[in-house]
Amino acid sequence: MSDAHPLIQVKNLDLYFGSFHALKDVSVDFHAGELVGLVGDNGAGKTTLIRVLCGIHKPSKGEVYFDGELVTEFHPKLAIDQGIETIQQSVGLCDNLSIARNFYLGREPMKKIVGIPFLDFKQMRSMSTKVIRAFGLRDNVSADDEVERLSGGERQSVKIGRAVEFKNRVVIMDEPTNHLSVREREHVNELAVQLKEQGLLVIYITHDIFQVHKLADRVVIMENGEKIEDASTDSMTAEQLEEVIRQGGRLVEKMGS
Amino acid sequence: MADAAFKPLVRKHSEIGIFLIAILLIVFFAATSEGRWNNSYNISTILQITATLGLMTLGVALVVGTGEIDISVGSTFGMSALIYLFLAVRVDPFIAATAAVCVGALIGAFNGYLVTKTGTPSLIITLGSLMIFRGLAIALTSGFAFSIPYKERGGFSYFILGGDNMFNFGTFAGVNTGFLWLIFALVVLTVVLKLMPYGNHLLAVGGSSESAHSRGIRVDRVKLKAFIICGALAGLGGVLEAGKLGSADGSMGRLMELQAIASCVLGGCLLAGGRISLIGALMGAFVLSSIQSYLVVMAVRPQWFMVLLGIIVVFAALGDKKLRHWAHKH
Repeated sequence: MSDAHPLIQVKNLDLYFGSFHALKDVSVDFHAGELVGLVGDNGAGKTTLIRVLCGIHKPSKGEVYFDGELVTEFHPKLAIDQGIETIQQSVGLCDNLSIARNFYLGREPMKKIVGIPFLDFKQMRSMSTKVIRAFGLRDNVSADDEVERLSGGERQSVKIGRAVEFKNRVVIMDEPTNHLSVREREHVNELAVQLKEQGLLVIYITHDIFQVHKLADRVVIMENGEKIEDASTDSMTAEQLEEVIRQGGRLVEKMGS
Repeated sequence: MADAAFKPLVRKHSEIGIFLIAILLIVFFAATSEGRWNNSYNISTILQITATLGLMTLGVALVVGTGEIDISVGSTFGMSALIYLFLAVRVDPFIAATAAVCVGALIGAFNGYLVTKTGTPSLIITLGSLMIFRGLAIALTSGFAFSIPYKERGGFSYFILGGDNMFNFGTFAGVNTGFLWLIFALVVLTVVLKLMPYGNHLLAVGGSSESAHSRGIRVDRVKLKAFIICGALAGLGGVLEAGKLGSADGSMGRLMELQAIASCVLGGCLLAGGRISLIGALMGAFVLSSIQSYLVVMAVRPQWFMVLLGIIVVFAALGDKKLRHWAHKH
């Protein structure tokens, strides 16, 4: 796991929202072919950190290297073009658009007719239908239906299916198993491991240290905007890591008071 | 049941309401005006008014689709009309028209740039440009009208720029050439909206700009483009109106922005963004033009124009809402 250079390297990252210090001097490396669990309580800064990695937030201070190169411009478009796919919790789908249109939003397949680029509906439909069937969406849901019609779990399935389907180098999953049934949960976790085995970097965000300990090669724990632990799952048990989270919470409380 | 078949149709096509309203009104107007409304000359006039208001409405609908609004289009319409008239007697009318449409696009770019760069609500920004460009129009004309002398209004350029009617045979007065531009714009924009990537991005931005952004859509650029198209279309509308009338003063297009927005709402466009119907918005423009013309031919005093128009708009909107509510009930 300690090959030449990490795929994503975060160095001394700080992020402020106004006067709120959301990320404090965070440094962390992520390698290709690795499944990293990013764990912490609500407000620990997990989602904020990955929103930097996927280009939504620009850091206030510090550096991010992707594949050895310093990232100078932050925009989701650039991240997606580099092969960083993110399954976000609250954003990512437009309710007013069909599943097929959401699936390809921002990277629409095109068919040129007399030089003018038109959407390739055939491909959009067939690919997104394949994915929604693979993820067991209701039989009466079609790729032309608006996302508004879907349940929470189905929405999540569309996002995950989309992330898996494109050729990526990094897949970031923010609480991917929320809203999912037990069976769907297992499916998602299997997918995460499969992606890793294909050589991708998978960053898996969750509250549940026991769940992610089973999947991950390494666990990074965040608390109050800081990284407080970064350990391989071979070196620490889930119980030990859980203790770190508890201690970390207490430490921060003490520091704050 | 007919109910069961009709419901999904209404759910899927938000513009059905305005078509029903249009049919009801046409029947009512025809039945009560003793032929003063439903004669070929009047219908032809309605189509001409629909053409210029419709072009403006299409542009506003696109901006509404992104979740923004442009209330400056009436002033843009006036500015472009004046620029066209000013230039048409000096250079070829086609060049004049191009310049006027470009000015419309520039006003749109001005709006779009300010909205996307400063994050100020588009209602405020375009309220400002509504006043700026109306003021400029009045100042530039200093109370007089710009016009093209009647004897100069010949030739193909004038004809195609709203100067005359076509398809006039028998007693039918024909269709103003401005209507062709409207149909052309409707077809092009419908194709762009439904079949091209830009349309997908535009509706995505209106539906959830955060989600669109997270998928790599350049939200600002999508909005800026919509504002530019909107300005250009309002400008084209102004040119065609000026081409039809041959003259205009600083008040040209005043309050038309309200009609354009009302047309969008009546036509099933959601002001919150993400759901628009271009054909519905045009039908809205047609309904408003029809109502106006009905009030004229029935010799309703002009003071009551706005009042009645407003009341009818409110009732039509309520009816439309009821219909949609019904359609979404299980």
